[in-house]
Amino acid sequence: MLRYIAKRLAYIFLAVLVISAITFALLQLAPGNYLETQRLLEKTMTDATVSAQMKEAWEKFYDLDKPAVYRYGKFLVNAVQGKFGPSYKYPTQNIEDIIGRTLPISARLALMAITVALAVGIPLGIVAAVKQNRILDRIVMLVSMIGSSVPAYVTAVLLSWALGVALHLLPVIGWGDAVNYVLPVISLSLGPVGTVTKYTRTTLVETFHQEYIRVARAKGGNFFQVTFKHALRNSLIPLVTVIGPMVASLTVGTVFVENMFAIPGLGQYYASAAINRDYPMVMATTVVFALLVMGMNLLVDILHAMLDPRVKKSLTQKGG
Amino acid sequence: MGKKTSGRMHSRTMMILAQYFTNKMAVFCASLIAVLILMAIFFPILSPYHYTDVDYTALYAKPSAEHILGCDAAGRDMLMLLCYSLRNALIVGAGAGAVQLVIGLVLGGVSGYFGGRIDNVLSRVIDIMYGFPTFLFNLILVLLLGRSLFTILLAIGLTSWAPMARLVRSQVITVKQSDYVEAGRALGASNARILFHYILPNCLGPIVICLTQGIPAAMFAESGMSLIGLGILPPMPSWGGLITTGQQFILYYPHMILFPALSFGITVLAFSYVGDGLRDAFDPRQIH
Repeated sequence: MLRYIAKRLAYIFLAVLVISAITFALLQLAPGNYLETQRLLEKTMTDATVSAQMKEAWEKFYDLDKPAVYRYGKFLVNAVQGKFGPSYKYPTQNIEDIIGRTLPISARLALMAITVALAVGIPLGIVAAVKQNRILDRIVMLVSMIGSSVPAYVTAVLLSWALGVALHLLPVIGWGDAVNYVLPVISLSLGPVGTVTKYTRTTLVETFHQEYIRVARAKGGNFFQVTFKHALRNSLIPLVTVIGPMVASLTVGTVFVENMFAIPGLGQYYASAAINRDYPMVMATTVVFALLVMGMNLLVDILHAMLDPRVKKSLTQKGG
Repeated sequence: MGKKTSGRMHSRTMMILAQYFTNKMAVFCASLIAVLILMAIFFPILSPYHYTDVDYTALYAKPSAEHILGCDAAGRDMLMLLCYSLRNALIVGAGAGAVQLVIGLVLGGVSGYFGGRIDNVLSRVIDIMYGFPTFLFNLILVLLLGRSLFTILLAIGLTSWAPMARLVRSQVITVKQSDYVEAGRALGASNARILFHYILPNCLGPIVICLTQGIPAAMFAESGMSLIGLGILPPMPSWGGLITTGQQFILYYPHMILFPALSFGITVLAFSYVGDGLRDAFDPRQIH
C-alpha cells in the first residue's frame, strides 16, 4: 500500500510539472500582456503616466528582460519551496500570501457544498430507491436531474431572484456574515446533491437485487434492518469514488459562484488574473488547483481501499 | 425477410428507437431540441430585429407585444439575444463535440489497440485530463487563441476529450479480443483497417451517448467563459454574458436575468434528458 501511495505521489509530481510547463508555454505564446491590458481596460499605465524608465524597471522586477526559460526555471525552484513571488496586479503582496488568504474561503465553500450534498443526497437516494418507480421516486429524480445538469451559475441566479429579490429572505450580495454563505452554498451544492442522489439510488437498487438481501428478507429481517443494516452499508462504499470528480467540478463551480456573489475566494482571483493577464498569479493558481484536485483523488482512492478490501487488493497488485 | 442483413440492421436500430420512445421525457426533450434548433436558425432570419439593433426608446423595456421578452440595457430585443445565444451555444456544442470525437477516437483507439508502453503513457495523459478541472485550461487557451466563436469551440474541444478517449479505449480493449477481429487479422487486414472498419463501428452506441452528454458540458463551458468575461466578444450575445449583465439589474429589471437563466437551464436540461434516454435505449439492462 505504501509503495502504491509513493508511486501515485510521484505521478502527481510529474503531472503538476507537465501542467505547469504547458500552462507556462501557452501563456508565453498568448498575444498581449499585462501592461497592454491595463492600458486598454483600466486606462492606467498609459504612455503618459508610465515613463520608459519605469516600464524598464517594472520589466526588470519581474525578470521580463530575461529569457522565458529562466523565468520558468525560477518559478519551479521557488514553487517547490512554496513561494510564488509578487503578482503583476498586487506587486506588494506575495502570491502565496494571497492564496493563503483566499484558498480557505473557497475550500470552506466547497466543503460545505460536499457536506450538504451527502446530508441531502443520501437520504433522497434512499427514498427514491425504496419507492422505486413510484411518484415520489420520479419527483426526486427530476430534482436531482435538474441539480446535476443545470450549471451552478444558473441556479445561483434563479435562487437569488426567488429568495433574495422576490421573497426578501436572504441577501443577494455581500460577504462576512454567516447568512451570506447560504445562497452560494445552496447553488454550489445542487449539482453534487443531484450526483449523490442518483448514485445512491442506482447502487442501492442494484444491491436490493442481490442474493444476500433476499436471504436477509427470507430470514425475517424487517424493512429497516434490510435497508439500513444490510443494503446501505455495502452500497455507500463506492460513493467515495464520486467525491474525487466532485472536487474537480466544485473547483470550477467556486470560480463562477465567487464571481457572481463577489466572494473574495481563490476562484475569483483566478478568473480576474486570467482576464488581466496576471501571469504569475495564473501559474500559481493553476498549480495549486492541480495539486488540490489530484491530492484529493489520491485521498479518495486510499479511503476507498481502506473501506473495501477488494479494492485494496487490486490496488496493491497493480501498483506493486 | 428477403434482405437478411439489412433487415437485422434495421431491427436493431428499430429496437433502440422503440426503447427510446418508451421514455416520454426523452421524447419530449428531443422534440424540444428540434424546436430550439429551428428557432436558432429561422428566428434571426424572420424577425424584424437584429442583435445589434439598438432602440433608445425601449431601454430596459418590460415584456410587451412589441418585444415579447422585453429589451436589455441598450434596447436590444431580448428574444433575439436569446436566439443568438442559443445559436452560438449549439454551434459550440456541436463543434466541440466534433473536436472531442476526433481526439478521443485517435488517442483512445491507439491507446486501447496497441496497448503496452504506448497505452501506459497515453492512459496517464488521459487520466490527468480526466480528473483536472479543464475549464481553467479553457480560459488560458482563449487568451492564446482569441475570442471568436471558432476559437472558443476549439478551446473547449481541445480540453474536453478525456471522457471520450477513456471510453473509446475501454471499448476497443473489449472488442479487440472478439473472434471477428481475429478473423480480420488472419485475412491480412492492416491495423488501421481493423481499428476503423472492425472495432470502431461496434463501439458506436457508447460513443453516441458520450457525445450527447458532451454537448451540455460544452455549452456550460461556453457560457461560463462569457460569465467570467473571457467568452465570445460582445456585442455578440452569450447566455453567460447576458446573465452577468442581467445580474446588475436583478432588482429592477428581473426579466433581463430570468429569461436568459431559464432558457439556458431548460436547454441544458433537455440535452441531458436526451443523453439519458439514449443511454437507456442502447443498454436496456441498465434500467431497473
